[in-house]
Amino acid sequence: MKISIDWLKDFIDVELSTSRLIDTLNSIGMLIDSWEEQKGDIILELETYSNRPDTLGHIGVARELAVALDLPLKEQEWPLTEVDENSSENIDIEIFDDDLCPRYCGIVVKDVNVGPSPEWLARKIEAMGLSHINNVVDVSNYVLFATAQPIHMFDISKLSGKKIIVRKAKKGEAFRSLEGEDINLSPDMLVIADEQKPVALAGVIGGENSAVTETTRDILIESAHFNPVSVRKTGKKTGIQTDASYRFERGSDISFPPKAALMAASLLTQFGGKATKGIVDIYPKSRKNKTVMLRQRRVSEILGVDIRSDFIVETLSKLEFILEKKQQGVWQVQVPFFRIDIEREADLVEEIARFYGYENIPSVFPPLTAMEPPPDPKKRQIQKCRQALFHYGFDEVVNYSFADPENEEKLQSGRKAIAIRNPISTKASLLKTTLLEGLLENIAWNQNRGADGIHIFEVGKIYFWEDDACSEQMSLGMATAGYLGMNSWQEPPIQTNFFHLKGVCEAILSLLRYESVVFLAGKHPSLEKESALSILLKGKKIGCIGAVRRDICSSFSIREPVWAAELDLNGIFQKQPRPFEYIPVIKYPKVVRDISFIADRKISYQEIKQTLEELSIPNLERFELYDRFTGVSIPKEKVSLSFRFLYHHPQRTLLAEEVDGFQEKIIKTLSSKFGFQLREGGEN
Amino acid sequence: MSGLKEKIEKLQERFDEAIEGITDEKALQEVRNLYLSRSRGSVSSLFGELKSLKPEEKPDAGKEINALKEYVQDKLQALQIQLSGPRAVEEMVDLTLPGEASYIGSPHPILIIQQEIENIFLSMGFSVEEGPEIETDYYNFEALNFPPHHPARDDWDTLYINDDFLLRTHTSPVQIRVMEKRKPPIRIITPGKVFRKESPDPTHLPMFYQVEGLVVDRGITFAHLKGTLESFLKILFHEKTKVRFRPSFFPFTEPSAEVDIGCTVCNREDSACRVCGGGGWIELLGSGMVDPQVLKNVNIDPEEYSGFAFGLGIDRAAMFLYQIPDLRYFYENDLRFIRQFLQK
Repeated sequence: MKISIDWLKDFIDVELSTSRLIDTLNSIGMLIDSWEEQKGDIILELETYSNRPDTLGHIGVARELAVALDLPLKEQEWPLTEVDENSSENIDIEIFDDDLCPRYCGIVVKDVNVGPSPEWLARKIEAMGLSHINNVVDVSNYVLFATAQPIHMFDISKLSGKKIIVRKAKKGEAFRSLEGEDINLSPDMLVIADEQKPVALAGVIGGENSAVTETTRDILIESAHFNPVSVRKTGKKTGIQTDASYRFERGSDISFPPKAALMAASLLTQFGGKATKGIVDIYPKSRKNKTVMLRQRRVSEILGVDIRSDFIVETLSKLEFILEKKQQGVWQVQVPFFRIDIEREADLVEEIARFYGYENIPSVFPPLTAMEPPPDPKKRQIQKCRQALFHYGFDEVVNYSFADPENEEKLQSGRKAIAIRNPISTKASLLKTTLLEGLLENIAWNQNRGADGIHIFEVGKIYFWEDDACSEQMSLGMATAGYLGMNSWQEPPIQTNFFHLKGVCEAILSLLRYESVVFLAGKHPSLEKESALSILLKGKKIGCIGAVRRDICSSFSIREPVWAAELDLNGIFQKQPRPFEYIPVIKYPKVVRDISFIADRKISYQEIKQTLEELSIPNLERFELYDRFTGVSIPKEKVSLSFRFLYHHPQRTLLAEEVDGFQEKIIKTLSSKFGFQLREGGEN
Repeated sequence: MSGLKEKIEKLQERFDEAIEGITDEKALQEVRNLYLSRSRGSVSSLFGELKSLKPEEKPDAGKEINALKEYVQDKLQALQIQLSGPRAVEEMVDLTLPGEASYIGSPHPILIIQQEIENIFLSMGFSVEEGPEIETDYYNFEALNFPPHHPARDDWDTLYINDDFLLRTHTSPVQIRVMEKRKPPIRIITPGKVFRKESPDPTHLPMFYQVEGLVVDRGITFAHLKGTLESFLKILFHEKTKVRFRPSFFPFTEPSAEVDIGCTVCNREDSACRVCGGGGWIELLGSGMVDPQVLKNVNIDPEEYSGFAFGLGIDRAAMFLYQIPDLRYFYENDLRFIRQFLQK
């Protein structure tokens, strides 16, 4: 809220430079966001905390400052010009619901000359960033910004039966605010009513039907205390927030309404008004001050520094707490009504710390008394994936978790998206069910800025409904488009391709020791039909890879082709990887044999690989496809495949005859199962 | 056996003749194929003849053939070096030409800083804990001492899925989950994505990264909070970085402290600094002693144990570390932006 230094001086004789004043306020937890000079006054922008409504008025701030600077608070006099009538003869107040309105004070001021405010008042109202309206409205605002107690003024001639009834709204009751807005009242809302109709929405806003106007003469001043939750709910439901409701919903000082009423009445008598005698104060269940036990030992235990008991007593007393010593170093502390935030010992410890000065508390490193658990192995697995991706030249991206429903529709992940009830925009109203959307947007962004090789990945969560539960899964998304690597004077540039990305996937899965993964032809809605594979681990689909569909690329304004893959890391981590084991390095020479076959093109590598693996040839360490070609020398439907087989025996040198036997078995199996033919000079 | 020995000698003679007078690499390759080709080379096929020997003769014979093989290989290699010897001047390559560059992928800057922060806390004996991003009102608010309908909730503008679920507005729920599972001593940090109902602008984002920390043990004090955070900030920023603690309010800590660092741009010396606005301080962390009610909520006795907690926006820290003027840059994923951090 805005704090005027001139206004503060009504309550405290502070003679500090602005910067010293700001530092002092900061040190006790009153943060000044900014300040400006205004007509010779300095206006501070004070950040107030939701638990400190007492600082939403100048007196509250002055009170804190007085303690920090050890200055007295100035007492103010509020003299009244009175008529010889009792207030109770002029107004009858009844509270029907004292939970929602525990206290209601009223005083009537007659013969007020409604008109422009005097210069001193107008200046204060302007300092608060408001425009001055008339002296009556300005007095309400003056009291609010001075004391944090909201005040409302009724034109008493408009109150039917000169009656105030504080009750819940009736169903279907209508109400027009003094801003001219029609509000639908519901029975959970508290209203101020006369005999016939609601005349104010309690603690929120007054009604048009009872508002003070230029012709008003007699005024009822309302100074009340309302239930904070009730005011907040009404404010939320009606969408109205006022300076009054802002204070009431944070909690006002229940002891203060009579004083605020007097203050307002005294000011109105400056404009010709005459107050009726006494205040009608309806306070059915008078409250007692809260009390909190405070132990000096506990103060030192929490703050980590010895605090003397006279400092504790002095500070809290200046803050208007009343301390009663129970035993050495133990007090029963009575909390003033305006400090709604103080309920426990810890709250008092903070008060002591604030004025002791955080800067005076030492800095100490906490002793280690036990070991923490070791890191989650999954975290390391993810680090390994990232390292592999960096090595392959993939840059890491992080996208918002929000998805555009239009994009989700296009990408059809097959998962049921979770919607946000109050999204920041419709374009961000779902949570992502695939990381692909973000990656495609990133490709578009970078292509538009001249990048001709974009290879990116993201590790992040995807979200979806699984039955009635929100499911979150860690996913790895990858996409690659354009040129690979850096420009080189030695080699011409090459384009990324499907097998580059597949190599990345294979490398990651192998680093994590999931070599048993299988790539099978599969469909995926966002990938081109002819160029999509499903990735399976122990029979469960854990990912997909392929070329992003042409129409999707064009809807994201991306130049094709783009290859993309997504791996379900949760699904992968659920399966046990092959345990890591050290294998001794074999000292004996290995035997290498190359064979070239002429094979039918229709036979997939996956089938050949599986067949070779199932042969379980002893001492075959591994095999690799090192050449594949088609051309004039090869029949049209055929392809030449060259395999290299590496044999190794851990305890001895393998004999050529043994290996010959293995090779024969391989050739026989492949020719009988797939009709492979040994290529001329194919065995080497 | 003697027959084989003879063969070996003859073959060696023939080989010596064959390599005499070789002047080009092509001829050399032909000789290499002739003698060493795996299936048809003359030396290689000698190994095939081992089969016909008596078992006791095999080892010696094998040795002899191997010796010949090594002899042939050595000669060929020497010749190869001779042939490819000093090149003619015009063939010399300019060795000052650039080396072969490799495209190394770059981590995202936020995750670099997150890692750095994790490393600092790991060295202080903390562990790293994570938790769900979709949370319940209980874990995000109630357990953290936010009463229902309390205005304090307004400071955490929340994105809701429905009445039961919301997107966590801080990683504090992870602290609650850990305290429910484990007894003190607890010394953790909880990094992760958090969400707020804020439209993106240079200093606000609807999603950002946060790291929070929690220490609970017997005898933990505000002095420990100060000691830990001062050390952390001086490592993350600079050993000369000024650190200021000032009273604040959070529902889940009491006493609470906001932690400011001296402006990283003007060093508190420019009254017109665009980063700190001339105030000289940058608000960076929220912290405080864990509210006794929060400890009670997870069945930890606040009379026996105490603790401190803190929270820091990683994006915001990165912003000040590198003087990045706009938080949105982190989520545009412009490779020209991201790839600079490869060198970080």
